[in-house]
Amino acid sequence: MFYRLSGVYHTRYSQTRQLWPIPADRWQVGILFALALLAPLYMSNLYLSSYMLPWLIFSTATLALTLLMGLAGQLHFGFAAVMAIGAYTSIHLTRAGVPLEIALLGSGLMSAVIGCVFGAAALRVKGLYLVMATLAMQFLVDWVITNVTVISGGATATLQTPSVRFLFIPLQSLTARYYLALAWTVIVVLFILNIKRTSFGRALVAVRDKDFAAAVIGVNIFKYKLLAFFASSFLGGISGAILAFCFYKAVTPSQFNFDVTIQLVAMALVGGLGSVIGGFLGTGFVLLIPIVLLNLISWIVGNGWLNVSTSLMAHIPMMLYGAMIIGFLLFEPLGLAKIYDNARKYLLVWPFRHTQS
Amino acid sequence: MNHTDLALSRRTVLGAAAAASLGAALPVWAQGKDPIQFATLLDFTRVYTFLTDEYSQGQQDYIKLLNLEGGLDGSPIKLIVKDHASYPERGIALYNEAKAAGAVFFDFLSSPVANALMPRADEDHLPMIAFAHGRADAADGQAFPYVFPSAAIYRSQAALLLKYIDEKEGGLKGKKIAFVHIDSAFGKEPIELLERVAKTKGFELKLYPYPVPGTEQAATWSEVRKNRPDKIIIWGAGPGQAVSIRGAVTNGIAPKNIYSVIWLSEADMSAFKGNEVVGVKRVTLVNTGTETPIVKRIVEKVVNAGNGSGDKKRVGGTYYNIGVATMAIAAQAAKLGAQKAGGPVTPEKIKQGFEMLKDFTAEGLIPPLTITAQDHQGGGMGMISEWDGKQWAPKSDWGSAYQDVVWDLIKEDRAKAKEKK
Repeated sequence: MFYRLSGVYHTRYSQTRQLWPIPADRWQVGILFALALLAPLYMSNLYLSSYMLPWLIFSTATLALTLLMGLAGQLHFGFAAVMAIGAYTSIHLTRAGVPLEIALLGSGLMSAVIGCVFGAAALRVKGLYLVMATLAMQFLVDWVITNVTVISGGATATLQTPSVRFLFIPLQSLTARYYLALAWTVIVVLFILNIKRTSFGRALVAVRDKDFAAAVIGVNIFKYKLLAFFASSFLGGISGAILAFCFYKAVTPSQFNFDVTIQLVAMALVGGLGSVIGGFLGTGFVLLIPIVLLNLISWIVGNGWLNVSTSLMAHIPMMLYGAMIIGFLLFEPLGLAKIYDNARKYLLVWPFRHTQS
Repeated sequence: MNHTDLALSRRTVLGAAAAASLGAALPVWAQGKDPIQFATLLDFTRVYTFLTDEYSQGQQDYIKLLNLEGGLDGSPIKLIVKDHASYPERGIALYNEAKAAGAVFFDFLSSPVANALMPRADEDHLPMIAFAHGRADAADGQAFPYVFPSAAIYRSQAALLLKYIDEKEGGLKGKKIAFVHIDSAFGKEPIELLERVAKTKGFELKLYPYPVPGTEQAATWSEVRKNRPDKIIIWGAGPGQAVSIRGAVTNGIAPKNIYSVIWLSEADMSAFKGNEVVGVKRVTLVNTGTETPIVKRIVEKVVNAGNGSGDKKRVGGTYYNIGVATMAIAAQAAKLGAQKAGGPVTPEKIKQGFEMLKDFTAEGLIPPLTITAQDHQGGGMGMISEWDGKQWAPKSDWGSAYQDVVWDLIKEDRAKAKEKK
């Protein structure tokens, strides 16, 4: 019905190979993009700054992680550290007078280089052992940042972002910061979507599925594993810098501690590994659902419909949240993206029921 | 009566009904003034769980008492209590929500969230209290005009311990002092002060960091034992504190030689059997127990009337009374500010009210607190108390220590921050 495929004829290769060959998909993407673009017009500052902005930025970080975990199959449990390197690099560069545009690239490069050093462990170990190696990165980076006062900023351990401009636009207003984050989101989304159709992306998938099989068919695993770490850390570093400049406006070590790593992994897993829409859905789930539940329960208690202590009131949302994670994963183990995918596939052939694949 | 009046009174009734359902306002809403909203966004579920329940209970009980006694010139205070779980991004979201709902005063009780929100609160001109936590330079009213630690900051607490050793425990000169601390910004904050005082007073300072979250300290304590220090200062919070004391005791260190930062409660100490830990000393910034007039009245009018916000046993505990103190200070500031300028309570007036506090003791609950536009710490007074097996018994009078050194450090921080901008 919505996805009417009859009458859609591709007469050129470029048509079949475009990102969204089905018109209905193009419509959906277009509407979503328009909604995101117009968000400052119809959304209150509260929703824009507290929900939309962190959701977009954390989504880019999740997408960067999903490039590594979902496409290349390399587990990474130190991604908050990658973002921290990016954030601290960008803030120190801009403080030294480097323009933000270059500082962002610099932060990406710095994260990529350090990320590659730890990623080199992936050349020897796989699976859970790689988790340990990247975990070491998380704790090492955390330790270095807190203990080297030149990086963390002395006893107070908080660095304020200086007032900067991006492409001659001062990043003071919420709208400006939102559009910078949105621009970065669009770049990352297009990058991840396109990477799947390149030889690079296919090589990553081959490495993910079986690395020695990939080596047999002529994929240089050494090169592609490192490249995967490089690309993912590069995006992660810039996302960290964007997070610092557009959302937090300050950097402290606790913004990038181990818990954030776990959150990022959860975002990627709950959303669905390797999927772009899953990155957004997973981030929304992990980041926003707890606040929504919290406000819902506070509202119920505030209206006197439920008489519980403050402490229990604070814990009920966590119970619901935990139940929701289990519920969703039982319903569809492949994540939220797969639920979307199932619905889409059902509609593709509707009213017929045959949905092979 | 025209429509606006009707709408206004209806909103008032609704607001008051909401406040009443929180148990916050009882007789005052008959007077029909809009409630003043204080937002206490705390961490009930993740890092600060060891104290938040008790602390928030103290805050809620005090606000109930205040509303029973007429609120702030007839306006009841409504607390917005929510859980940010120490996630800075969630703290920011809840802060924005509370701001939109009209909250005029904030408390976060979590260093990560407070640190993330201090610059925002300053930008938005909304006053916040950071009682004995958060960044050291918050004490500097020039750097953060809207942030009020309102109690001895960590450096001042360390100074109080040193001064006590110097005056009552046979002097600092020639002593070996071990500083056993959690390896985080909070744990490292007093180091600069300790080093400076070590130079002038001539004692030997040894640092022993242990890793976050502090549940594993065995290696650190065997290291401490090797060096045989005369006095030991422990600097941690939550479960790590009991682990520290356990580590000290099992390594043969006498409890009387252990000194702690403020975060060491009755519950931490009661976990030890018998006289094992009698003699441990701690910085105290708020009187414990139920003897001070405010807490007494809370017991009479709120708790015994069956309106307490939590477990009766916790009333009068260390963290409970700290919660009471934070709200008492904030309410006094709001009162002073509104009296001076007249009209309804606004964030700006609360800020000015804080800076008008002079020798405020909350009826004997806290040491005299005097806040000025420069000094948001308020004098840095406190006392040393000792665990006697049942409670924290005072061992000294209220006083402050080495404030010149504390302020030298704050000024240096400010100079550094300026350099970087």
